[in-house]
Amino acid sequence: MTTPVSGAFSGAAWMRRFADSARATEPQLTALDQQVGDGDFGINLTLGTDAALARLDAVSAPDDAAALDAAATAFLDDVGGTSGPLFGLLLQSLAASVPSSGATAATLAAGVADGLAAIRRVGEAAPGDKTLVDALTPAADALRSAPAVTPPAQALAAAADAAWRGVRETARLRASMGRSSYLGERAEGVPDPGAVGVALLFACAEGPVRDLTPFLDGGGPA
Amino acid sequence: MARYFENSGETLVSDALRGFALAHADLLTLDPDHGFLLARDTAPSRRVALLSGGGAGHEPLHAGYVGRGMLDAACPGRVFASPHNRQVYEGSCAAARPEGVLHIVKNYTGDRINFGIAAERLARRDIPCARVLVDDDLASDSDEIAAGRRGTGGTVLIEKLLGAAADAGWGLDELQRLGDRLAARCRTLAVASAAHTAPTLGEPAFRLGPDELEYGVGIHGERARTTARQGRLGPLVERMTGELLAALAPEPDRPLLTLVNGLGAVTPLELYAVHGELVRVLGQHGLAPARALVGDYVTALDMRGFSLTLLAAEPEDLARYDAPVHTAALRW
Repeated sequence: MTTPVSGAFSGAAWMRRFADSARATEPQLTALDQQVGDGDFGINLTLGTDAALARLDAVSAPDDAAALDAAATAFLDDVGGTSGPLFGLLLQSLAASVPSSGATAATLAAGVADGLAAIRRVGEAAPGDKTLVDALTPAADALRSAPAVTPPAQALAAAADAAWRGVRETARLRASMGRSSYLGERAEGVPDPGAVGVALLFACAEGPVRDLTPFLDGGGPA
Repeated sequence: MARYFENSGETLVSDALRGFALAHADLLTLDPDHGFLLARDTAPSRRVALLSGGGAGHEPLHAGYVGRGMLDAACPGRVFASPHNRQVYEGSCAAARPEGVLHIVKNYTGDRINFGIAAERLARRDIPCARVLVDDDLASDSDEIAAGRRGTGGTVLIEKLLGAAADAGWGLDELQRLGDRLAARCRTLAVASAAHTAPTLGEPAFRLGPDELEYGVGIHGERARTTARQGRLGPLVERMTGELLAALAPEPDRPLLTLVNGLGAVTPLELYAVHGELVRVLGQHGLAPARALVGDYVTALDMRGFSLTLLAAEPEDLARYDAPVHTAALRW
């Protein structure tokens, strides 16, 4: 469940909460990926967020763009495999779109849209392929439809709600891309771990996530 | 058991790269932190750099083709594994010419994604980047294989011809179009009579009976879709060549480039016998090689097998083939 955070939005605080939440939910992510992938998604996500923390610590008082850029470089450079670097592309697009004067709903929307486009170009995945695209697409749609005056954390929370709905949809899908495509119907009923990671990222803009269960069961924010 | 000569499985690739860079210090430098090899002096006339990469275990591909007339940079991954996007990105930044960098990518999912991520990062730095996808393996030409044909032996011919065009000062779009045309007109078929030694186990990756042959193997030690009887060489080369010609349907006036390639543990004696049979069979079809390569150019560790590549070129490609090249593994 999310805990509302009062006060101004901070990209650095967002990335730190993402790191805390990735570590807290790593066993659940690993258990999911052991059912539909090769079991390394949770570890790779925490490798990325831990590297992001190290890179954040090396920057004094990072503004939103610098914080997102540090996290992007961590995921792009410091994580093996492909899912971590694909997260890096999303973060890099956010970093490039958000001005150093601070994120707004509009700049976040533009960054997520760019990131989604880059991930789709690289991964050659479309909605319905049971990949992280199935969480990122509704999140991008939610951000695009948020009024320009929406506070950034609130816009991202709406994106998170949309992403969790996308995550739950992936449980009904049969994969045609990525590792779980080799499993065919055996992967049905299990949500895509990469999609869960995307929803987790957006959810952390508002507050930390300690347990994935309510979100995967649909008992989380509607 | 046939153990590799190595300090450890973990360090074999980096140890080999260090040795390779020492042996060919006149041609290239190794950036050990970022994992790429950079040519010392490709032609100043190049407006676009050529970069390739892929898993280790295919030596001399790709490091052996870094140098004058071919690649500006190469990014080796771990054995049979794609390079990391960071290697491709850093190598591309280091090699890029004023009009950017062309990635020559063998068609495997991991390579496509990692080169793709690097390309997105290059776009953020305003470094123009385009891709040529090599997918010459006829054995993986099937509607059932969504990933498409694999990239194999034809890569070396395509890298050579693109190198000459890059030296001639071609732009990024022109080079990409040339590469696409060459890849579309290139097919390879490979067979193996014994698997490679799996690095972690020191055991063959698979076992075959005395007269058995894997027909249509790739370059990663995976089994083929068909196991055939090996039999005599002549009929085997007739079957392979016939299938390649059926797929390519080369016009008789097109110059044919041929590559007889050892996969790591076939003797030169055998490879030249293969080439002799290839020329005989082509002759029966009214064809002849315009240029021919015979040797170990794209290997699969110590797989006991060979591949045949045909590239139905255009007349102007011959000058590109003949243009000077000076790399560790190809020079004239």
